Amino acid sequence: MAELTSTKLNAESHLLLEQPLLRMPYELSRRNFKNAQRVIEHSTTTLTSSLTATTKAASNLAAADTTLGSLDTMISKMQGLKRKLDNLHEEEARIHRSAKARLHHLQDLYQVQSLVDVKYDEWSRTRLSRLLVDYLLREGYAESAAHLAQSKGITELVDVDAFVACQKIETSLREGMSSGLALEWCKEHGKELKKGGSMLEFELRLQQYIELVRQGHQAGVSGMEGLEMEDDGMNGVSIGGGVGGETKLVEARAHAKKYLSMNGDFELMRRAAGMLAYRPWDEVEPYASLYSPLRWTYLADIFISTHHNLYSLPSRPLLHIALSAGLSALKTPACHSAYTSSSANASSSTTSVCPICSTELNELARNVPYAHHTKSIVEDAPVVLPNGRIYGSEKLRMFNEKVGTEAGWIRDPVGGLTGEKWKDSEVRKVYVM
Amino acid sequence: MDDLLEQVELLESSANLSTSIGDVQKAIDMLMAARAKIAADPKTAPVTLAKLQDAFKKTLETAQKDLKPIYSGLNKYGKALDKKFKDKPLPSAENDALSSHPSLINRAIAMHLLREGQFGVASTFIEEANRRPPHPEPTPNTPNPYIRDSWEKDIAEGTFNSEKLQQQFADMYHILHELRDARNLQPAIQWARQRSDVLEARGSNLEFELCRLQFICLFAQAQDDDMEDENPSGPLHAVAYAQRELAPFQKRYAREIQQLICATVFWQNIEHSPYQRLFYNDSAWEEVAHSFNREFCSLLGLSADSPLFIAATAGAIALPYLLKMQAIMKEKRTEWTTQDELPVEIPLPSQYHFHSIFVCPVSKEQTTDANPPMMMPCGHVIAQESLDKLSKGGRFKCPYCPNESQPKDARKVVL
Repeated sequence: MAELTSTKLNAESHLLLEQPLLRMPYELSRRNFKNAQRVIEHSTTTLTSSLTATTKAASNLAAADTTLGSLDTMISKMQGLKRKLDNLHEEEARIHRSAKARLHHLQDLYQVQSLVDVKYDEWSRTRLSRLLVDYLLREGYAESAAHLAQSKGITELVDVDAFVACQKIETSLREGMSSGLALEWCKEHGKELKKGGSMLEFELRLQQYIELVRQGHQAGVSGMEGLEMEDDGMNGVSIGGGVGGETKLVEARAHAKKYLSMNGDFELMRRAAGMLAYRPWDEVEPYASLYSPLRWTYLADIFISTHHNLYSLPSRPLLHIALSAGLSALKTPACHSAYTSSSANASSSTTSVCPICSTELNELARNVPYAHHTKSIVEDAPVVLPNGRIYGSEKLRMFNEKVGTEAGWIRDPVGGLTGEKWKDSEVRKVYVM
Repeated sequence: MDDLLEQVELLESSANLSTSIGDVQKAIDMLMAARAKIAADPKTAPVTLAKLQDAFKKTLETAQKDLKPIYSGLNKYGKALDKKFKDKPLPSAENDALSSHPSLINRAIAMHLLREGQFGVASTFIEEANRRPPHPEPTPNTPNPYIRDSWEKDIAEGTFNSEKLQQQFADMYHILHELRDARNLQPAIQWARQRSDVLEARGSNLEFELCRLQFICLFAQAQDDDMEDENPSGPLHAVAYAQRELAPFQKRYAREIQQLICATVFWQNIEHSPYQRLFYNDSAWEEVAHSFNREFCSLLGLSADSPLFIAATAGAIALPYLLKMQAIMKEKRTEWTTQDELPVEIPLPSQYHFHSIFVCPVSKEQTTDANPPMMMPCGHVIAQESLDKLSKGGRFKCPYCPNESQPKDARKVVL
């Protein structure tokens, strides 16, 4: 047992859970920098060209008022630029502050040598709060997350704002069934998305196409109510009908030409084209699944995975990862046993309740494998009572002293005061190898 | 970690947007100056503007150029990050048994928040979780999810009895606060007295410890003023308290009560008496608060420290081993044969061992309900299956000693 109970703290290996902690501010500051670069570049081109134009106009004897007017516009544009940059600078400083706070937080860990140090305990409590905030944010409980971060004083160590922004876009897809916010996001992150070969933008554009086609078919039907049954001679060549429907379908075609034609997946293109012939209510595959509202859920899911990928966030909450590992590491066959464990139970003050047996985690741990042990771990000098329960003799003596059992007699801590008692001589030594 | 910190500090102190903002301000100043000049004398407009053009363009170009240090600073920082995490991949949760039970996790979190005394956060959370119940995601690697509807439904439907639990923890924090900060024992004593029977059956000394501390408090109170007094009020109060309150403890704690009463003899110089240790013990309050916390949670059937905390901490310690194991299994393309037991041993500090563990010395397997530990008449313990194999139903020799016995003489034991 001794060689296994290693209490040395390996700070490096503790970083396994911490990559997102540092990656997030880094990605955010890159984003911030790019925004700054973009606004400056944009203003430089527009302003130098308008200055050139003004100069030209002035040398062509333009009225002084006009010149002053265009100078005023330029000044206010420049002031706008400065305001934008000031805001970005503020954001930049905030991100750096939080990056620094995080690095200091991790550095604290390198000062702790042992896993049983009180300082590690404290550090680990902060980590748990961070993991909880991360979990809450991912589950969409932003208010609770912010509240918890606030009350624990760890706002610099968590990314509430970034997650809230992400969640807003996700909901707009999943519940709002609108692709506007998501497309805006794609535009902002265009370069990285292209680099990573992301399909998100294409899928969003395809969805726009689908919606146009859907509207086209629907407008077509309302335009030719009642005509449906008369076209028996046309053998399915029935045309879109109503004028509104036609224009929508034409629009859809233009949209496809503009946004979808670059994609190399001709099979998908063929299916998309086929949608022009099949209406949403025809229930013919593969078109029905393209028309299906479930596609919005799918879009929301790929948005989330693209977003998390881009910001180096793991796909599952870190809490899940830490907890699954922890539940297994702590679980023993006794945790879901039908018999009360002698060594860890709630029935006497000499034993404590095992965290896996405690109500909070017991059901959760039911599905995880239990820890592997190659050696028995029992208290010193184990003895067995006539009822088959094994205790460390010291603990058994302590309990009986505390409950005030008469001399020469022994009670079972699980049975308590009302349980059976035996003579000292009935307690036997037991040998556990 | 230091190199990363250095990079961030560099970004913070110099490689930031402030230089470019300065350039932009310069450009604004130029425009303003030109404007003033033209307004004063419109004729100079063409010349002024022609002059301005070049300077303005240059300033804005400088503003762009001044972004370069940020770019390279960020790049360096990114590289340092890559290096730091090169051998530390984002952990994947291959054996994620949790995603399919989000409401159980939510309940665990709610209870964690309550027991940490975060009542405000807890109620925000419970309200939000009830408004947006979680969607379970079945995961492929989870061995058939065990659905115990009651708990799953509890929190999802808002019937999770958080109010009752919250009330209980609120009581606990009230009592702890009174104990630790206000040094007021009354609420704790009252709590313990109401549960006297249960506590006694558990072998807990809590009630007596609290009363003893009360005695000591009374004794020490206002002693300074009493020094000259013939009838010191502190010790007298204490003795009166003992007569009134300590009687029920007479039988079990006779020795301790004797000590307390004898100590009163030394009321004038208790510091130099044999009872000094009893009366000047600063950690007594913390000890009593700790033991109160433990008993309180135990009576609720909960562990004293937050299980979520212990499990997450143990998880962080275990993670490197599990990831290494995953990597090896992937490399060797082996599957893990026993679904219900981890294939590697994880060295946790001993305070993370709660149950005794019995590994059968013959089969090297941990015993379970289906394969319980059996004690032979010689006092050696092996697993049931090993015993069956060794004995084949007949008389057999203990693998550890010369003793021979019949399988029917072996007894099931509980560790």
